[in-house]
Amino acid sequence: MTADGQLPRWEVFKQDSSTKAHAAVGSVHAADAEHALLMARSVFARRPSAVSMWLAPQWAVHQYTREQLAEGFAAPSEQLAVPARYLVFLKTSDRRSMAAYEHRGEVVASSTTAALRAAVPDEPPLGVWLVEAAAVIATDTADAEPWFAPATEKRYKQQSEYAVSVKRHPAAREES
Amino acid sequence: MTETQAAQRAAAFEARIAAGEKIEAGDWMPEDYRRQLIRMIGQHAHSEYVGMLPEGAWIDAAPTLRRKLILVAKVQDEAGHGQYLYHAAETLGATRAEMLDALLEGRAKYSSVFNYPTLTWADVGMIGWLVDGAAIKNQLMLAQCSYGPYSRAMVRICAEETFHHLQGREMILTYASGTPHQRAMAQDALDRWWWPALMMLGPHDANSPNSPQLKAWRIKTKSNDEVRQEFLDEHAPELLAAGLSIPDDDLRYDEETGHWRHGPIDWAEFWRVVKGAGPCNAERLAARRAAHDDGRWVREALAAHAARASERTSE
Repeated sequence: MTADGQLPRWEVFKQDSSTKAHAAVGSVHAADAEHALLMARSVFARRPSAVSMWLAPQWAVHQYTREQLAEGFAAPSEQLAVPARYLVFLKTSDRRSMAAYEHRGEVVASSTTAALRAAVPDEPPLGVWLVEAAAVIATDTADAEPWFAPATEKRYKQQSEYAVSVKRHPAAREES
Repeated sequence: MTETQAAQRAAAFEARIAAGEKIEAGDWMPEDYRRQLIRMIGQHAHSEYVGMLPEGAWIDAAPTLRRKLILVAKVQDEAGHGQYLYHAAETLGATRAEMLDALLEGRAKYSSVFNYPTLTWADVGMIGWLVDGAAIKNQLMLAQCSYGPYSRAMVRICAEETFHHLQGREMILTYASGTPHQRAMAQDALDRWWWPALMMLGPHDANSPNSPQLKAWRIKTKSNDEVRQEFLDEHAPELLAAGLSIPDDDLRYDEETGHWRHGPIDWAEFWRVVKGAGPCNAERLAARRAAHDDGRWVREALAAHAARASERTSE
């Protein structure tokens, strides 16, 4: 438990197909990595279009909005003895969407501030998340089939299964 | 910050909203924007959680395996929707523990409609068609919300909720064209759920004091009455065509405007239910508290297991 009496929070990044990038979909609270992956599957993969998930504990996710980026980079962060890998997620659009902050690559830097400088493209995005790669847990590729395939077989969860039109009943009121 | 700077910040915020930008966690926002969102999203999350109870009660008694699978999936979705929404509220600084405490202690509101009992199996279908049908109209509106995390949760919810609506509609249409007994069951369910479904979309605009500000901030993009009208225009003609009668003597189609009109809503009943005196308020909260208490040992075991594992790693 954390100090506020809750299990720790993990950000969830879901990949919809092998040609798409992982994107932030929400979070779960879980005691450890194994529990977090199971929670993320129940919450975010009840429907098809999941082939992989990455999770990161909240403390390893550094979030910067467009406003914060425009105000200049945050105060210099702690210098690391050994440079670390950061996964870079960018928000580039405000259009209607289920997910934002898509995975766009990674940088190696010896502080979060340096990572941010390296991660922000010339055309400033609407937001940047830097995720400490060492803290990320991922679904196992070998498990992808048993983990994600069942959702595609449960066709009764698809709205297309219920395309029924209303047939006028003989007892229907005239004006309808 | 000087007064001028504060005014500039507020103006810049309004300009972002007007330009259709999404506000994200960490952006500057007026305190009242944050407060209203936490209130709305919290109530919405609680509604998803409590919403599992009326239908969950029928899982054991589902008449066929197919209907049971559908109902289990639907109730599981509601749990997931609660999770998406608690997450959205957390991005504004609320915690799940605080929000859950507020629900369990009876301090937080949730949708009035879940305080009505599910008396027959047909209620499961009628809830899908009417209650989820009304909820989707509201949620499609909220998917346009100016706050990014809430908007994205809504887009995800709408995609899944459409299945809830359509499975209920299909079930009721099946019964409405079935045996006299099935038709009577569908009619009885409609008689009991029609008014609660109309009410759940909230007070008339004239009695909805938060609405103008919520609209100005594009938290809501339509008023309660506008959403209710959309619900009525879709559902009234379909229910009537199915040969069911809607329990409202004043219900009529207005040729001039092309809209359906309903009779007066019993707002005294609405407020009675919202304030805790509905048919099932006490039962719903008691069930939520029991579920929370029954799950305590699991949460404690998970935390203890994680603590021991991390001790072992550090040894």
